[in-house]
Amino acid sequence: MTEPAEVETTGRFLVLLQQDAVEEGVAELGAIAGFDPNSGDLDPNTVQVFPQLGVAVVSADPNLLAELNGAAERPGPVLIVEPERVVHLFDAAPAEDPVGQADESVLTWGLQAVGADVSTATGKGVRIAVLDTGFEQNHPDFAGRTITTKSFIAGEDVQDGHGHGTHCIGTSAGPRKPATAPGYGIAYEAEIYAGKVLSNAGSGSDGGILAGIDWAVSNGCAVISMSLGADVPVNTPYSQIYETVAQRAMAKGTLIIAAAGNASSRPAKIAPVGHPARCPSIIAVAAIDVNRAIAFFSSGSADRIGQVDVAGPGVDVYSSFKLPEKYARLRGTSMATPHAAGVAVLIAEKTGARGFELWARLALSALRLQLPSTDVGGGLVQAP
Amino acid sequence: MTTSVDQVMVSVKEGSLPKVLDYLREAGLVVDTVLEALGVVTGTVEVRAIPSLLSVPGVLDVERQWRVQLPPY
Repeated sequence: MTEPAEVETTGRFLVLLQQDAVEEGVAELGAIAGFDPNSGDLDPNTVQVFPQLGVAVVSADPNLLAELNGAAERPGPVLIVEPERVVHLFDAAPAEDPVGQADESVLTWGLQAVGADVSTATGKGVRIAVLDTGFEQNHPDFAGRTITTKSFIAGEDVQDGHGHGTHCIGTSAGPRKPATAPGYGIAYEAEIYAGKVLSNAGSGSDGGILAGIDWAVSNGCAVISMSLGADVPVNTPYSQIYETVAQRAMAKGTLIIAAAGNASSRPAKIAPVGHPARCPSIIAVAAIDVNRAIAFFSSGSADRIGQVDVAGPGVDVYSSFKLPEKYARLRGTSMATPHAAGVAVLIAEKTGARGFELWARLALSALRLQLPSTDVGGGLVQAP
Repeated sequence: MTTSVDQVMVSVKEGSLPKVLDYLREAGLVVDTVLEALGVVTGTVEVRAIPSLLSVPGVLDVERQWRVQLPPY
């Protein structure tokens, strides 16, 4: 069994205070949690107050949660109490793992693992949207490609100041034969839609992500690749709004593929699939390594809500990156997701399938692995 | 009185746009974007007005927006 509910929260509590009564609210919290709000120097490990936001973060014994909730339910300055969660985009850590026995002199191990090297499909005529930190518009490997861009981040253009987005675009739709080997792109003739829904600092919110999905659907993209999300405690309900959105997108011919999350620390802990991949109508992608073993960080089917659907290469993944680095080796379900999305584009091109038929073909053609379905779903995605 | 506001997303029944926008605004939603292909409206609303958005005819669900954050490399 796993117990992510405890580890997904910090043990602290987020408290929303009435905005014009922050001091009164902190005083009430002090009475419950046992600190003196007038002591002058409050220990930031005990309580942090953000007056502009009307929010306090309080360390309190879990047994005090009931009392805190009681304060929230009563009329007064304490409005809402929630356990503090660790929320972040599914990050790509630099790969520390040495390359396994794979020969990457021509193509990355990931492209070989999904059979892109033996497929005749190229993605030509199919549109793929990658919703991420944008795109490195000066990358030489993409010269001459048709790339449509749009930023949904106020004050930032689509230029990728982070690198994560350029890496994901590279895997899903980058080149097979760049100036310097190895080739790293699956659907190398697909039409790329690069939507910036995460800032150069790597932050974003549902509003921008949904706007990016709307843009991709309106432009007839067959596949949306989303290497982002938030970790959630086990048994967290999926978002009804994302589920509705995914169903509507699928009905219009757009399949959403998202990262399962990197919250596990196997073998000790298997964390549940994150938001929004845990929605039933969004494909959740897990990460495996070059030895076809589950990646230690890959989130899994830890409850009956968020299920892993397929797996892709997600450890020691070489792809394009922002300049001046130009290339990077990263790991994460963020890297597995564009592998699955690129394969979906190839299937869409070869079969003409869209929407749920595309989902079915992607899932049913996956290579079965000697691993639990709770970790890898139907297995390793395979190019047609 | 609280002035706490929250960013929310609202899904609506197919075909209910744009009429539902007027009702949402009356219920307190400051509309940010209207995503017609998805039937979703995003915006900000006073936290205490969220239940009244849910009772607007044509509204399916109202949820607060999550934020995501990528740590630096």
